[in-house]
Amino acid sequence: MRIASRIAAGFLALALAPHVLAQDQGLELFVRPDKGYCIACHAVPLSAGPATRSNVGPALTGSRMRELGSAALHELLRDPTRGNPDTLMPPFGKHRILEEREIDRITEYLLALP
Amino acid sequence: MRFPRLGWPLAAACTVASLAAHAGADDVRRALAARIESQLAAAPVEALPEGAPPAAAANAAPGPSPVEQGKASWTRKFKDGKSLASCYPNGGRRVAASYPLYDSRLKRVVTLEMSINQCLKVHREPLLEATDPQTMGVLTAYLRSLSEGRKVAVRVPAAAEARFEQGRRLYFTRFGQRNYACASCHVQAAGRIYAEQALSGAVGQAARWPFIRGNQAITLQAQIRDCLDRMGAAPFGAGSDEMNDLEYFLTYLSLGQPLKPNTPR
Repeated sequence: MRIASRIAAGFLALALAPHVLAQDQGLELFVRPDKGYCIACHAVPLSAGPATRSNVGPALTGSRMRELGSAALHELLRDPTRGNPDTLMPPFGKHRILEEREIDRITEYLLALP
Repeated sequence: MRFPRLGWPLAAACTVASLAAHAGADDVRRALAARIESQLAAAPVEALPEGAPPAAAANAAPGPSPVEQGKASWTRKFKDGKSLASCYPNGGRRVAASYPLYDSRLKRVVTLEMSINQCLKVHREPLLEATDPQTMGVLTAYLRSLSEGRKVAVRVPAAAEARFEQGRRLYFTRFGQRNYACASCHVQAAGRIYAEQALSGAVGQAARWPFIRGNQAITLQAQIRDCLDRMGAAPFGAGSDEMNDLEYFLTYLSLGQPLKPNTPR
């Protein structure tokens, strides 16, 4: 029984590993000054990233991110000026600050926020 | 489906910008000052407008301070027996608050650094790099310390309105890979916290330079170049017309504010 549960736990870990890895990569891109550097403007829940007082943009929560959804978040990261020409948020995809797959990683990280 | 906007009416910034395009320098200054003052008043207590408190250790570098170094350079005798002090009335006391100024003969904005280099040129001394903290930086630290407390007294005569307007236009223009304008941080987001630092408002910035960082005197143009670099833009050259016009615009916004040079950052 113990062996069976360990095997099950192993399979579960293997199944989750790509998601966890993607979220870790997303966090890295979220905080790197030469990449997204989103942390400079946005605060995130304590358990999900560094504690900051950043408030140039709104604080980000998982519920709000999931309400927006993956496609809208991806598009927002790619070019936020399409929806709001006055926004201070950089057009990460349009200006090639981030590659498409890097935007995917950040999107996954945001959707997994608590 | 709307992503939360940045929390304040950005339309107000556009109003200020469009007003600026049609109004005189003083109207622009008053409108921006009122806008920024109300934003800073609404900012959280910890959002100090002059940036994050300096780390004492970072500024406690050994050796003479930039002002002391600048004084030594200021009084150093040239080969012809003169010194920088001999180029200015009262040895340089009470002159810094009038810079940058518009030279109607050259039809250009002349900065304090340009005036120092002009003095060196007249006396056949090597010219200095305008943003070098070790040479020009320390000289501006000393020269501006001789005007500490005096109110910024930059004037924008009718002939200089075009230069002021060019500076204003550049200040509100988005540059570089990150698509920021100077005004993005120092007007739209003034008082808010970016990378754990409170963003200073555009009004007052030009009264406080040079800034002291790690015992280095950072001139206003050096700071602007650093900002442009972080915006992912190719910085304007120090002493270029673009940079001088920006400094002219920015300094006029601080009209009447007391000079507080050599503030630690």
